[in-house]
Amino acid sequence: MRFSFSLLLFVMAGLVVAFAPLPVQSIAPRERIFRIDARQYAYSPSEIHVNAGDTVTFELVSTDVVHGLYIDGYDVSVEADPGQTATLTFTTNKPGSFRFRCNVTCGAMHPFMIGKLTVGTNLWLYRAFGLAGLAVIGVLMWPGPKA
Amino acid sequence: MKRSELISRLLIITGILLTIGAPLYLWKSTPLIHAQMSEEGGWTPDTIKAEVGEPLHLQFTSDDVMHGFAVGQLDMESVDIEPGKVADVTLTFEKPGIYTFFCTRWCGVNHWRMRGTIEVTGTSSAGEDLPLDIPLYVSLGLDIDAPHESPVVPEMQPSAVHGRTRAENLDLANLIEPALYKASSPYQIFQQLDSTALLETEEWDVVAYIWQTNTTPESLANGRELYAQNCAACHGESGAGDGVFADDMAAAGKASMESMNSSIESMMQTPANFTDPKRVLGARPAILQGKILRGGMGTGMPMWGSIFTEEQIWDLVAYLYSFQFEYEE
Amino acid sequence: MAKIELTRNRFIKNLLMNRYPQLAVFFVMLVGYIFAIHAGLIGTPVGSHNFSIVFVWIAWWAILILIAVPFFGRGWCAVCPIPLPAEWLQRGAVLAPPEKKPRWLNLRWPKALRNIWLQNISFLLLALFSSVLLTTPNITGIALAVMLFGAIGLSTIFERRAFCRYLCPVGGFIGIYAQTAPIELRIKDKQVCASCVGKPCYNGSAAGYGCPWDVFPGGLTKNTYCGLCMECIRTCPHDNIAVNLRPFSADLAKPSTRMDEAFKAFIMFGSAMIYAGVLLGPWGALKDAAYNVGTGAWFVYAAVFLAIIFGILPGAFSLGLLKGNNNIPFRQRFASLSTALIPLGLMFWVAFSLSFVMTNASYIMAALSDPLGLGWNLFGTANMAWQPMLTTLLAPAQTLALVGGLIWSARTAQKAANEVRVSSIPLIGYCFAATAFMLWLLL
Repeated sequence: MRFSFSLLLFVMAGLVVAFAPLPVQSIAPRERIFRIDARQYAYSPSEIHVNAGDTVTFELVSTDVVHGLYIDGYDVSVEADPGQTATLTFTTNKPGSFRFRCNVTCGAMHPFMIGKLTVGTNLWLYRAFGLAGLAVIGVLMWPGPKA
Repeated sequence: MKRSELISRLLIITGILLTIGAPLYLWKSTPLIHAQMSEEGGWTPDTIKAEVGEPLHLQFTSDDVMHGFAVGQLDMESVDIEPGKVADVTLTFEKPGIYTFFCTRWCGVNHWRMRGTIEVTGTSSAGEDLPLDIPLYVSLGLDIDAPHESPVVPEMQPSAVHGRTRAENLDLANLIEPALYKASSPYQIFQQLDSTALLETEEWDVVAYIWQTNTTPESLANGRELYAQNCAACHGESGAGDGVFADDMAAAGKASMESMNSSIESMMQTPANFTDPKRVLGARPAILQGKILRGGMGTGMPMWGSIFTEEQIWDLVAYLYSFQFEYEE
Repeated sequence: MAKIELTRNRFIKNLLMNRYPQLAVFFVMLVGYIFAIHAGLIGTPVGSHNFSIVFVWIAWWAILILIAVPFFGRGWCAVCPIPLPAEWLQRGAVLAPPEKKPRWLNLRWPKALRNIWLQNISFLLLALFSSVLLTTPNITGIALAVMLFGAIGLSTIFERRAFCRYLCPVGGFIGIYAQTAPIELRIKDKQVCASCVGKPCYNGSAAGYGCPWDVFPGGLTKNTYCGLCMECIRTCPHDNIAVNLRPFSADLAKPSTRMDEAFKAFIMFGSAMIYAGVLLGPWGALKDAAYNVGTGAWFVYAAVFLAIIFGILPGAFSLGLLKGNNNIPFRQRFASLSTALIPLGLMFWVAFSLSFVMTNASYIMAALSDPLGLGWNLFGTANMAWQPMLTTLLAPAQTLALVGGLIWSARTAQKAANEVRVSSIPLIGYCFAATAFMLWLLL
């Protein structure tokens, strides 16, 4: 009886870690402009951090061949020829970590031409850490039948 | 052996032979023109034969990055060639001759070298050929490689708006002639205005206005588009000679200087800076047209003679001056 | 949880024993494999539009690591086409054993190489060249051809499936991961085997061939080396072999103490982390180093790769073992505890693969319609645009896989630690740290 009660408590703790809405620091939205150089096969800068609610403009400058920039999760994209900077403006209403990647085949390593956009805090990562920690505690508390 | 074994073996062997043979046959019977970055080979094949009046059906594929196809002097819509996919183009030529086809999406610093030829034979269906014009700089006897620095530059950017107001009180009849415009640099026209009672800045404004009257908003828009697609990668989106390939050009220039042991100044090896008033205000339109037509003689400047029509080049030339002059909207 | 004997079901039993359904699957696989080689060699050099890259590294890999291995163990080996031409030549038949057997050399595999070290090396070779391999069609085509013809060559010299058992880079890891699968092939009654004369399951008979995996079915206690080819079920005269459904990772209750397998676990678990960082991370310099094979940067990359796999990871792992029971040799403790890295590595690969498969699965439909990049449109999907799929599910799925893997490996750690009488805490801590690192790399 006590065992299943502890297990229930444990599962609920897991759900809380995974889904409980946490108070997020509200920072006034700003306008941010980033010039991103694209080459075979990397962006520069490749890691960008903004706050949630910002209006972000990416100026994509291709420096060798035609490249694109597609943002996972936001499903927006832009493509630029060398000599023609292209702009993409969007509002960062979804917090978290999102990869952006090239969406114009630009050579062999094209599928791995990736950058990372972090909006606000990457809360999901911390929740995942929490779940992993909880999992270890769970395994240690209930070692299971000895072989 | 047992029948089941025999049939199974036959099926397997047939399957394998078909799997190897069918795609091989289909592959051999699909004549594709491969587009690759110039360093990897450019167009393969790079010469095509055609007949006047007969539709030429071409199939292109890119083996690496985004490329595009267009034929020079035809002012045709370019066709994108996506990596791994096939693009179909059908062309019909009315006049015989050697046409140049070229890549229309920047594919590296040597993108402009990616060219090929279409040899069209047969009799022209469009009447007699006009005799080829000789370029203006040739008929004027101009040396387009000679330096063309303007000794005087304006203090601020000349404005065609102000120029129009100033010009109302002047008799500009001969100064706005297209023939004079093409053959004279802005500085030379500026000098001609010394006879008026205008201040230097006002004279430059009038020059800007004269330059504006020698073009149209459509031409400037066309020139802007041509510049963005063909020139900005080296000359910079702001015209300052700082395009994404400017460093590569400088490095290549330095290397060729060292190997050629030539006396060409290193400034010739970086893309021209159109925001430099000394350089642009001392340049005649005919000189700029000549440089675009003929290209660089050892610099990285491509020759566009076989690619742009004469109208396209004049539109481009008109646009280049807009880095120096403020035109009316 | 008890085992459920699947072969008790008449339909399943007949399906597995009958050579025709198996041959039909073999036919499709072999034709597909040959087509992949062909496409790699004559098709477009653009990987994302070439059948060989898309169907080997996206479609086949996804099915392998997400479905075949976790749920069917060595199920892929059961249908893999690589050994088939070799085996048919070696056997002199594609169906039942012929009257007159061909005379090949049939040498025994050399004793010193009867382990998975060659497979560890072949996998590492592929891994070090993976950036080029995964993106260049003709390299993939050549690699596939080398394996096919390599298997044929080996079968003319050695007995049984020498390539599969001792060389195949895929087989190396499928084998150790198969220990986690819920399917197994085992004998039913030991006494029946003890009194069996001739052991046709291993030596062959008129009904079928001796185990091509060089396994004695009577002694099978783990999935690691059984390729699920079903020959033993056909040859056993006593109907003593069964295919069972069983709990996940049943084989890990008795951890292996072999060093080659232990290092395989490190190779897989380490390369998953390196791939996640290099291929899916935002660090362009790493990708350049990985791709530009032969340059100084690549040599540094290769050296670091190997240092991580053979030095850093096992080194840190060993730190937790130093204070141990001195009665049990270090090697045994090391190998036994490394078993915990098996479910961890598997889930690391699942999490990593989910990302690039979901991002690039849309290429599959296009490659199906225009496999060679010649402008065909066989199924009307040739112009399907690239579009990542199920992106909102990706992070939760990866978290589930990684945290689930952590729980699984922690449990395995406890069982393994128990076997060699050490504390499982350092090992669980190690697994936790690696999981946290992988979460950070992927999310």
